[in-house]
Order: sequence, then C-alpha cells, then structure tokens
Amino acid sequence: MTKLTHRRLSPHVLNRLIDEAPSDPLALTDDHRRSLTARFRAVVSTEHRRLDAWMVERAGQPYDPFRWSPATARRVVGNAALRRSLNDPSLTRFDAVELEVSDQLLRATAGYARSGSLASWLAHSSPSVVGLVSAEAANWATQLGEAAQELEYPWLVASSDAFYDVARARTTLRGRRDLIVPRGLARVLLRVRAGAPGKSAGPGLRADLTIDALAEPTGLSASRVIGLWPEAGVVLSVDGTMEDLRAGARDLVRTAVAVQRRSLVRAA
Amino acid sequence: MEVLRGERGARPLANTTAASGLRARLEDGIFEQLGSNLRDTPLTVRASTLHSSGQTYDLTFSTLAQVRGILVTQALRLLSVGLDVEHAFDEALLAWRSDVGPNELTSYVDQLESDELARLDTDVTAHCVTLKRSLGSLSSRWMPRTSLRAYQRLAGGNVVLRDVIDLMVGTTTSGEASVALLDVTTSPLGEGAERVMRYHALLQTLRTSTVPLRTSMFSTATGELWSTDVDAELLSRAVDDVLEVLRVMAVSP
Repeated sequence: MTKLTHRRLSPHVLNRLIDEAPSDPLALTDDHRRSLTARFRAVVSTEHRRLDAWMVERAGQPYDPFRWSPATARRVVGNAALRRSLNDPSLTRFDAVELEVSDQLLRATAGYARSGSLASWLAHSSPSVVGLVSAEAANWATQLGEAAQELEYPWLVASSDAFYDVARARTTLRGRRDLIVPRGLARVLLRVRAGAPGKSAGPGLRADLTIDALAEPTGLSASRVIGLWPEAGVVLSVDGTMEDLRAGARDLVRTAVAVQRRSLVRAA
Repeated sequence: MEVLRGERGARPLANTTAASGLRARLEDGIFEQLGSNLRDTPLTVRASTLHSSGQTYDLTFSTLAQVRGILVTQALRLLSVGLDVEHAFDEALLAWRSDVGPNELTSYVDQLESDELARLDTDVTAHCVTLKRSLGSLSSRWMPRTSLRAYQRLAGGNVVLRDVIDLMVGTTTSGEASVALLDVTTSPLGEGAERVMRYHALLQTLRTSTVPLRTSMFSTATGELWSTDVDAELLSRAVDDVLEVLRVMAVSP
C-alpha cells in the first residue's frame, strides 16, 4: 500500500520528515528496467515523448508549448544562484542571482548559447525583463534557501534534474529535484513547487521518486521524496518503498497511454 | 524601508506557535457559518475583498486602475532588484508582458486610444516617482522578495484565502521576528487598508507558521505609509475580519 504524508509547513517539519524516512533504501534491478521498457514499448509512439511528474498530475493533458518567461526561468537561475552562494558564503543570495544572470548573458555573448536556451532568451530580452527574471529567481533562491537553512543534515542543491531514456521506447522521463539530503547510502529528495498541491500531487511525487531511482546507475531509490509548496505552506512526502516505486512507474505508463490516445484522436 | 525594519535590538522573539490557534479559530468560525456540507464552489477571500468589506463590485469599472496597479507593482519588482527604472511605464509594461504573455488585460492595453494610453503612461510614471523616492535602495542583505503568493484552503476546501504580498523583507528562519510585509497601493489609504494589512499578516502567519514583525501599506497616490507591529491582538482581529467577510459572502446571492 502506498502512503502519502501531509504536513503543514512549520519550523523543523522538514527535519522530522527526514528523520522519519526509511533507513534502508531499495534498489531497482535490471529486471525492473526491462519490465518498464517492455510496457513503454507496448505504447507505440510516432514521435519522441517526454514525460514528467507534471504530465502525470494532469493525466497527460496537453499544455501550452514551453516558452521562456520570468516564471519559467526562476527555478534554473534560482537553484544555480543558491549553489553559487553555498560555494561562496560571502555572497548574499541576491548577489548570487545577479552573478548567475550575468554569467548567462556572458555565455550568450561568447557564442556558447544555443538558440532557444535560457542564455539566448535573456540576451535578447530587455533589461526590464532581465530584472524581472532576477526578482523571480531571488524569490525562488530565498524560499529554497530558507527551507534548506533549517535542515540539521548536510544538503546540496541538485546539479540537474533526473533524466532517464527508456531504451528503444522513444521515451525520456524527467524527474524534478531541488535539494538532495544524503544520509549514508540513502538520500532524501526535496522538490519545491509553486501554487497549492492538487489531488494528484501524490502521484506526481511518486513519478519523481521512480524517475530518480531509474536515473541512478545503481537503481538505488531515494528513501523519501518531500514536496514543498511554500505558497500554500504545505509539505507532502512519499517513501521509497517498492509499492510507491511501482505506483510511480504505473502512473508514467498510464500517462504515456493517455498521451498516445490523444494524439490518435487528434490524427483522426 | 528603514522604518519597516526598525531597530534590530528591539525585535521580539519569533512567534512560531500562534498559527495553529488562528487556524483553529478560523475553522470553528467557518463551521458555524457554513456548516459541514461541501459547497460546489469555494468562497474565495482576497485582500481586495477585505478592502471592500466583502461587498462585491464590478471590476470592469476599474480595469484601468487594475492595469495601473499591476504596472506599479512591476516597477516595484524592478526597483527591488536595483534596476534604475527611468521610463517606468515602458519598462513595467515590457516586464509584465513577458511575465503573463497575452491575456485579457494586456489586450485591453493594446486597444486603448492614444490619449488614454498617454494618460495611463503619465499616471503610472507619477506613481512610480513617488514609489522610487520613498522606497530608497533595498539592501540585498534584507532579502527582498516581491509578489509573493499565499494560498490557504480551509474547512475542507469550502473557503480559500488568497493573497499576494507586494514586497517582503527579512527571514522566517531567524530566532527573532524579522519579516516586514509591504503592500503598495495606488489608492489613498482608508479604513479598508487596515483590514488588508491585518489580512497580509494573517496569511503570512498561516503560510509559514511564523508571525511576521510588521505589516505595512504604502500609497503611491498620497505618499503615505501605514505600518504596524504584528501581535496576537492584530492577528485575532484579522481572523474576525475574515469571518465577517465570509458571513457577508455566505448570505449574498
């Protein structure tokens, strides 16, 4: 049976959730990977599909095509700024955001930014748009930094999201993660989301849990994934049990089926 | 901004225990008014609802004022990151468009006649000059955050409290209360402003479980700043305000 823990955001709630996380992490084996691949291959797709927790939460409903905006740029810049301020404690989070934005602009000027990237978009934006990106990123970095500051365990900002290509199934899975709290062999993941959690927030967290385990070469799962919704002051978590991992994988396959059905209906 | 943060040595210890009591009072009060039946659509309370004491009004009459408010807020966001906003209207408009994309309000601006647009431009510029003068520079050590949203579901989803705080400085992780909230309005401050200030403090407390130090409101129309320390009495009054507004909303068709 899967379990979803719901808590109100309060001082030390994250520490308690990390404390109470299962201590023995599970590992996905090659058999699990093969089984998942077979299920995804059974859902034939004419084009490459990308699935993530957001799509699982929306049951594969299509959403507006991605475009860069201050809101979509804040997580990338904010997380990078928090990482930077960790490496150089003399920097305030806000200074780190400014440096990060400058770095992105430099990358574009030096010709290292490909078209459509954040750096390229920033370079073509007006100073006021870049200013708004900084404001959004400062909000994000401060929010995440405040959550992390309360942790009594060592933590690090995830260097990237978890990506897993399902072999021969034309499918890429993307799992979001913002903070990683290593605990011996195990680890706890923290993911920050805007807005308020909906009814499908649990399946979303489970999808992130499963993708993270798949992306890990050893298949070792996180012992717990914590979702933090600062705007609503709510914390949800799921454990890295085999039931939760299976539920996460099932939801991802179902989402692929839903996406496929929609594309067939559209084509008809 | 110096006024908002006050003397560092005079700050009280952070109150991290008040939120659960406030939530319980709200839940009990809502239960008395709405009962236990789930409504088809939740009653949504916003700062604007508090401003008008729960009476509804037609927003189409105030679209221009709404756009003006949005643009001044965008200018505040730019000022908070140290940008030297010279052409407030143009810069705020660009920032706003990049943020929200095309929507009903941006289309409304696109459809304005040139004289209306010029009036809006002048209006926004005048408000921003007042804001810029009064705000001064914000130290990055104060961790200024802008347009922070809050969302609280109560009574099993029968009531939703929503809020946006224009500017917040300070941290919730310190042992002493250090968070100051600022609402910037383009209207003159009136009786409703006090309720809005209390509402911001209540929502911030419910959201973070930490009582903020101070809640304030600044009018770019008059240059007036109202600021008050947040204490148990203020939060209790905020709960009463919300329950009163819900009582009006529950009986109105």
